[in-house]
Amino acid sequence: MVHVHDPRVRWSVQASQVLQIVAADEWPAAPAVDVFAALAPAPHPGADARRVVIVRGAGGRETALVASGPISVADVDAGDVLPLPVELTRTALAISAIIVAPDASLSLLLDPLAIATPDAALREEPCPSRS
Amino acid sequence: MRSFVPITIDATWIAVDITTVKEIGGPLTWIALPTASAALPGVTAWRGRAIAVVDLASLLGAGQRLTSPTGRGRTLYLQQGTSTLAVPVDAVREPVMVPDENVRLPRARNEAFCTGELDVEGHTTLVVDLGVLLEGHRPAAASAPH
Repeated sequence: MVHVHDPRVRWSVQASQVLQIVAADEWPAAPAVDVFAALAPAPHPGADARRVVIVRGAGGRETALVASGPISVADVDAGDVLPLPVELTRTALAISAIIVAPDASLSLLLDPLAIATPDAALREEPCPSRS
Repeated sequence: MRSFVPITIDATWIAVDITTVKEIGGPLTWIALPTASAALPGVTAWRGRAIAVVDLASLLGAGQRLTSPTGRGRTLYLQQGTSTLAVPVDAVREPVMVPDENVRLPRARNEAFCTGELDVEGHTTLVVDLGVLLEGHRPAAASAPH
């Protein structure tokens, strides 16, 4: 599992879904998605230059995720991955589970297939009528 | 007769049906969800499961909203149908048994989850049914897509 220690909230993604991790300014494609923008603006990069985690998203597209904070890779026991309860699945589409760390702290497990990207939204938005 | 567990958030007195209370615990560690509602702002782990966290202060406009990762001094774990909820509160009082006729309609609230009102230790105490709250949050197979 790849863990991002974002100061807003710690999040994780399955390592098998990560294609690469690069500096944000080295990612030339679509703007990176900040999944946690609704919690707070992404912190300014300090000692940890901002990076992006490239995952395979819906439709096989490569999706870049803003990674604000140190990144680590660590194994997680399957029993420490707890699926979200049904009453939260409607509002937390990109989150599939929480991960309980050995110190009892929590991390959100992202589902790259459920992450809405700006370019996908543009593709799905109908053309405005010209009246 | 009905039995309730009175709880407080700041100066607000609230009561929940004692049959829904599974456990009363200490402070909670929880994690905020990015697109969650103010009423169910996040999630925590309890008995090997992930369960929703309810912010009663946000729901009732009483006291400060929860801020991840800490909760309040005590936590109520409530069973509502198949769902378990973690409800951080400031204090939990002694359970009370009251005659049915002493539970009146709430005078100052009209939200669906506010089901009654009673007096506990001289305080007007709002009876809440958080099961009502969940009805809008469960996946609705029959609802039309937006």
